[in-house]
Amino acid sequence: MTTWMSTHLLSFLVFSPGAAGLALLAFPERQARLAKLLGLLVAIALFGVSLRALSLTPDASGWLFLEHRPWFSVAGLPVDYRLGLDGLNLWLALLTALLVPVTMLATWSSLAKREGTFAGLLLLLETGVLGALLSQDMLFFYLFWEGMLIPTTFMIWIWGGEDRRYAGTKYFLYLASGSLLWLVGLLYLAGQAGSFSPELMAQAAAGLSLHAQGWLFLAFVLAFAIKFPIFPVHTWMPDAYSQAPVAAVPVGMLVKLGGYGFLRFVIPILPAAAARHSHVLAVLAVVAILFGSLVALVQRDMKKLVAYSSLAHMGFVLLGLASLSVIGVQGALLQLVNLGVSTTALFLMIGMLERRAGTTMIADFGGVASRMPVLTGFWLLAAMASIGLPLTNGFVGEFLILNGTFTSGFAWGRVAACLATLGVLLGAAYLLWMTKRVFWGAENADPDGGTAKLAQDLTARELAALLPLAALILWIGVHPRTFLAPSDRPVAQLLSDAQAPAPAAPALGTAAGSAPLSEVHE
Amino acid sequence: MMAKDFAALWPLVFPAVGACFLPLASLDREHDTAKWIRGVLYLVTLLALGGSFFYLADLWHVGGQPSFEALRMDRLAQFSGIFITVAAAITVLQAWDHFHQEGWVKAETLSLLLFSVTGMMLFTATSNLLLMFLGLELLSLPLYALVGTVRTRPEASEGAMKYFLTGAVASSCFLMGTVLLYGLTGTLDLSRAMASSAGSDPLFLAGAALLLLGFLFKTSAVPFHQWTPDAYQASPHPIAGFMSVATKGAAFVALLRAFPGALSLGAAGPKAQQAFAVLAVLTLVLGNLTALVQTDAKRMLAYSSISHAGYLLLGFVAGTPAAYTGILYYLAIYLAMNLGAFGLFTAYGLVGEDTSYDALRGLGWKRPLLGLYAAIFMLSLAGIPPFGGFFGKYLIFKELVGTGHTSLAVLGVLASLVSLAYYLRFLVALFLQAPTEALERRRAEQPAAPAALASASLFVAAFIVVMGGLAQGLLIPGFAQRAIEEGLKLVR
Repeated sequence: MTTWMSTHLLSFLVFSPGAAGLALLAFPERQARLAKLLGLLVAIALFGVSLRALSLTPDASGWLFLEHRPWFSVAGLPVDYRLGLDGLNLWLALLTALLVPVTMLATWSSLAKREGTFAGLLLLLETGVLGALLSQDMLFFYLFWEGMLIPTTFMIWIWGGEDRRYAGTKYFLYLASGSLLWLVGLLYLAGQAGSFSPELMAQAAAGLSLHAQGWLFLAFVLAFAIKFPIFPVHTWMPDAYSQAPVAAVPVGMLVKLGGYGFLRFVIPILPAAAARHSHVLAVLAVVAILFGSLVALVQRDMKKLVAYSSLAHMGFVLLGLASLSVIGVQGALLQLVNLGVSTTALFLMIGMLERRAGTTMIADFGGVASRMPVLTGFWLLAAMASIGLPLTNGFVGEFLILNGTFTSGFAWGRVAACLATLGVLLGAAYLLWMTKRVFWGAENADPDGGTAKLAQDLTARELAALLPLAALILWIGVHPRTFLAPSDRPVAQLLSDAQAPAPAAPALGTAAGSAPLSEVHE
Repeated sequence: MMAKDFAALWPLVFPAVGACFLPLASLDREHDTAKWIRGVLYLVTLLALGGSFFYLADLWHVGGQPSFEALRMDRLAQFSGIFITVAAAITVLQAWDHFHQEGWVKAETLSLLLFSVTGMMLFTATSNLLLMFLGLELLSLPLYALVGTVRTRPEASEGAMKYFLTGAVASSCFLMGTVLLYGLTGTLDLSRAMASSAGSDPLFLAGAALLLLGFLFKTSAVPFHQWTPDAYQASPHPIAGFMSVATKGAAFVALLRAFPGALSLGAAGPKAQQAFAVLAVLTLVLGNLTALVQTDAKRMLAYSSISHAGYLLLGFVAGTPAAYTGILYYLAIYLAMNLGAFGLFTAYGLVGEDTSYDALRGLGWKRPLLGLYAAIFMLSLAGIPPFGGFFGKYLIFKELVGTGHTSLAVLGVLASLVSLAYYLRFLVALFLQAPTEALERRRAEQPAAPAALASASLFVAAFIVVMGGLAQGLLIPGFAQRAIEEGLKLVR
């Protein structure tokens, strides 16, 4: 049976949240509760619809679903309306659809004002993120990529802390600077290729001089690096995360795109440059891991600690991508999903503590476990996942990345893997130390401190928000095949394509090749 | 002579006739015109603009290109005619509210506006230098008066005087250039004069440069921009919006007629291109950096309109038909977003001189719909997708990169990054800064007068900006591209 939905599933998923979000923004303030409720229902319904993607089977060229028609064309440079779902973005898209209702539930009663606006902006952001995840045309992608800055900036501005104006403006300017310069590179390449389709761009790029490819690579990487964020261009992140705890989750939804965009566009379009400069990326990744972990170790604010820990985790993702081996890239892709699950859970729980206690300073807490045992249980699980304990999702991701890096064909592979392993140790140190100080030990006796104000454990809504995340942490940890299987073929395909036009590059992924990953886990 | 010979004249006749008769209705010197009479006056103005608009739309639809001697109502002129009448109509809607808020409703304002519209159409519909000069004067003189139209405000006449003096210098430069070109080539037709063999004569170059100065003054490109902030700030909000959009638009369309000819000059062609590149860079850098340090929102918009002239000039540096298409598309979107931005002051009921960021504090939440429009206009002005402003810049930057001016494109991108900072500042004031107590008290004492028409005009503008982003596939090939293709054919 052919219905409109069965031929336009992706268009529906991408644009209906935005339409609903715009409608919610027009609700007057006194009907905010109604708007919030409607927003939640829409978000849950959309997640339900998005699950249809699981029943799809890939066609000959790997697409689970593809919508493609010409959009507009000026002076011979066509821009296409092209949305595609394949193994690379399947789980990221589903996770995005899940995180929206989860965020709404978890922040249900922690927003002091304009709850309807928050729901509206979150749905608009869902359009932006899903659109960017599914776009298969570079300019179309760019529209979503840049457009999603608008709702997130407003989230930081409206629900942020004292420095929210500074944090929001800095965030917008920082991220826009990267993508605007990237636009110039994109226009140059599109002019060479006569199209914005990644395939034609890759062909055009292969014909350019190595010098020109290097500049393009710089423009591409800068845009993704800022969103990632990678070490020297990360300074927007601690501000944005610590100023806006409710915005931390939405912003987290969008940083995944840094890694995804790198995998989807940089490696296929500029494979030779990626191979030539991968050692730079690896150095940056290792620096991010160690720098992020060390800085996290000395934080006194839980929000900042988790923010820096996510910097370290993004370093792992970059390391996996830079290894250009099947195992490493698979691990990076899985680690993006993991971050969406476990870091989100940590941020949500910090938000729950903040709503009750009014503070997020570690020193204000102590002995939380006796007052909020259920929250503590969830916290332990998420923290273990973040550290990378076996049987949780973090272990699988980090193991694959380190494995892929160690066995990659690059000379730096082993050194980088060894140094990055130090990051795992440090990760355990800062998270466990913080957990000990906040949740265990003597109760903070200060009546104005945080612990004294924790009267109530998790509400049903908060529980509903955390349960799916906890289930995912265990599911990915115990049976990662579910999540790795769809991307097996696309990743291998992508890397072997990338290898073909650059015979001069070092042998990529020799150790991994196309060896099935199943032996690692099963 | 048949009636269809006059076909090229009709679009100018509607506003001109309206302009001649409107002042008769307000001969009374007291401010006691009945409200319904005022309403009729505004309606007549809209009808005059509407007559012109629908006539042009019909011409566009039919595809006719009538001409009357040197006056040619070709596609390019039709485009600019439609552009000017739409801008004027939005201005009239906002003016109704603004002049009521100021308590200064005069029919002469409308008459002056219509004269200016007539002049703009004439300016863009000919390549005869004398007719162009007539158009230039006919569009400028009423504007000088419009800047100072609210005579109760002392700064108004100061701004008008500044504008008039600098404008007069620019006009005389234009005239001097005309004289030099005519003397050297023996023709008043711009395209023929440009194509003549006198191309390398230094006097010819001087004449062309003087002519160019006349255009650039109206586009408020650096270094001919000094009048802009003062004149905009002194004038009523809708008039400032009209000047920033329609005058600039008319000047750019006229430049489109003149400049492609200049490019084929041979020896002078590359020089002209270099001159445009230098001017564009200066305009972008100066306009954006000065806008950044303003404390007054209206002055910021004035400097931002200078910087937009810089992006448009970049299109001339690229100099391909696609870039010219981009210029026209940019202008169409710029019309909506800039008139919308200036219209916000009217919709929020800010009267007099107080248009500082501080006066805007907290207004965003008072009327959420207006706040949404404000966000759309500001982000589109900054060139953030998915709004129309992004595609304007996209079209121009794409051609710049395509013609090998990558460094200029990078500069343009950096400039729009700077511009993002001050447009965000506007939104910060609207949404994030709590109003001071004094401001709250003043707002409670003098509640903003209702501005239904201005709000409606903002809806139209926001609709254009959003659709310009989402459905530019209809707008670019169907409208801007045809105007350029068929407009440039006549020049060559």
